[in-house]
Amino acid sequence: MTTAMLELQDVHTYYGNIHALKGISLTVNQGEIVTLIGSNGAGKSTTLRTISGINSPRTGHILFNGTRIDRLPAHEIVRQGILQSPEGRRIFPRLTVLENLEMGAFTRNNAVTMKEDLERVYTLFPRLRERIAQKGGTLSGGEQQMLAIGRALMGRPTVLLLDEPSMGLAPVLVEQIFTIIQDINKQGTTILLVEQNALMALAVAHRGYVLQTGLIVLSDSAAALQSNETVQKAYLGME
Amino acid sequence: MQIRIRTSMIGAAFGFAIALISGGFAGIFAGLVAGLISGYVVPQAEPLTDKRRAVGQGMIAALVGSVMTILGIVLRNMGIDPIIGEPLNILAVGIAIIGATILCVLVCVVMCVVRTEPPARERIGMAIVVGIILVTYPWLDQFLNLRFMNEVIPVLVFLLMALGLNIVVGYAGLLDLGYAAFFAIGAYAAAMVSSPHFGLSLSFWLAIWVAAATAAIFGLILGSPTLPLRGDYLAIVTLGFGEIVPIAIKNLDKVSLSIWNYPLFVDVDLTGGTKGINPINRPWLPIIGEFSPSNPIPWYFLILGIMLISIFFISRLRNSRLGRAWTALREDELAAGAMGINTVNVKLLAFAIGATFSGLAGAFYGAYISAIFPESFRFDVSVMLLCMVILGGLGNMSGVILGGIIIQFADRLFLPQMSNVVQKLIVASGNESLRDINFASDFRLLLFGLTLVLMMVLRPQGLVPSNGAPRVLPVAAGEARHD
Repeated sequence: MTTAMLELQDVHTYYGNIHALKGISLTVNQGEIVTLIGSNGAGKSTTLRTISGINSPRTGHILFNGTRIDRLPAHEIVRQGILQSPEGRRIFPRLTVLENLEMGAFTRNNAVTMKEDLERVYTLFPRLRERIAQKGGTLSGGEQQMLAIGRALMGRPTVLLLDEPSMGLAPVLVEQIFTIIQDINKQGTTILLVEQNALMALAVAHRGYVLQTGLIVLSDSAAALQSNETVQKAYLGME
Repeated sequence: MQIRIRTSMIGAAFGFAIALISGGFAGIFAGLVAGLISGYVVPQAEPLTDKRRAVGQGMIAALVGSVMTILGIVLRNMGIDPIIGEPLNILAVGIAIIGATILCVLVCVVMCVVRTEPPARERIGMAIVVGIILVTYPWLDQFLNLRFMNEVIPVLVFLLMALGLNIVVGYAGLLDLGYAAFFAIGAYAAAMVSSPHFGLSLSFWLAIWVAAATAAIFGLILGSPTLPLRGDYLAIVTLGFGEIVPIAIKNLDKVSLSIWNYPLFVDVDLTGGTKGINPINRPWLPIIGEFSPSNPIPWYFLILGIMLISIFFISRLRNSRLGRAWTALREDELAAGAMGINTVNVKLLAFAIGATFSGLAGAFYGAYISAIFPESFRFDVSVMLLCMVILGGLGNMSGVILGGIIIQFADRLFLPQMSNVVQKLIVASGNESLRDINFASDFRLLLFGLTLVLMMVLRPQGLVPSNGAPRVLPVAAGEARHD
């Protein structure tokens, strides 16, 4: 049974005069991993920023479990259960790993459930447990990515927005991160994944959307997109 | 080892400076201060756990402190005094040296040993040591003939403001260059309701709340237009606000307001213009009666009480949810928003709460000197406060207090007294060409600037780095990180 958890209806977003999203409509169903792929400047990150309320759409609706969230401020959207691991990771460099994770649980004020969530994050990312007292800024790129995802998980997301989790990481680490993303999904978290690494993204996702200059040009199941000729040529580097 | 001696030089420098500016028995107090500050700073730089080690460390620090203090005593009493024609009292010098050494060693070692205790007991122990010194200070001052009392009260006023500014700059990372404006607003708000100016003449105890509330409201008013700004842009806007307020106060002595040609009021004197507001009611308490300008002791305990309550509140705030939100905001505003922190409210609260303490300080200051003038709240007050916060350690309350004491001590006691001494030395040497130099006023701002630059280069985290994240000025740190 699939129910639309997150739905974008004809969303237009502007940066000043620049028309960044030209009518995006997409749905994310409960329990899915949905990926947005596309080249630089296609509007992938803008879509995430629009959902999370950092940029608000000029027209169009965003529905979360059937209620509109497109006019809510960013912190309210987090409270509704939509958390993001932002582009460029954005961990707090001068706070320790533990302090970073605690910040992630800011919206919840419950020491007991926070302990449980810390355990969950440490189980997913054993490396973070080893680095618990280390400053965020001194972690390696891969560890910082783990921290960014872990921090978002601390807010108990129903929908997790991941912006380019593979950015700047070694191929081995990328595979590791994507395995963990699948684990998180299997534990019941719905995921919207923005990726330049289309190959990896389509390998873990259930469905995918292809963005081009602010428009969705293709949408299908991940398997179908993988075998789609245009996608293969443009994004998977196959001839 | 080398680091320890360098750190204990902070306390030792105090001992030396105090002994140098005041002869006679004052040297004993110099030793006490040297011991206290060394005993605080040295374990801060290197945490102590073992009692015997702590005693050793305390002894080393105290040794450095007392040697420097004795040097100051000797230089003052035997070097300077004979030249400027003060009588030399060998007995007093001897007592001062012995007293200074004993007190320095005692206080320093006790402070170091206290630091080895578990946190809760450590805090109580330190509070007892510092408390005894603070409570007995007014009588020490009289007994040792220090004559610092009239300067200590404004020092505490400025420390209170530095603590408030530390909330804005240190905790929330919002660089505010116009913070003195809230001091002015608080002082004027209290003065207006607590003086014959409008015929209101409320009690000081009510006026101080009016001042705090007014300052908080103006904190919100200043805060709201700066919400989208960061770093340097924020600094410029707050700088502007700091300039506007004193000028506005100066010119609000003939205010008329009319709506559609119906005059609501004509030529109302809001602020007294350049003449200021005078007299302002002094506080009144049973038994003590009205606080008198000639007896500083009640004033001292009043501002000390306000300080302690403020310190208590601020430290609670620091560890609250709001405090954590400020930390996140300071570290990365965008990420803070992504954590579900309402960055708008959190910023506004930082401005409002920070301003509140400045408002309290303003209300006290106005009542203390019983008059206020627009000239008392100029830009250099904001700069001095920022120096105090940065010198001690951004975001760390005890560091800010130490930094504040250093700057204020230098500004109010050391420089004026030294320039007095230097003047006398010049007169004694008969060199006429140097006569017109006034070291206190001529080099004041130069020294602030120099302090800021040196601190930024040598020790951006401040004299007493906080235990948590090392903090540097938001502009310096923030801009480097922004992509």
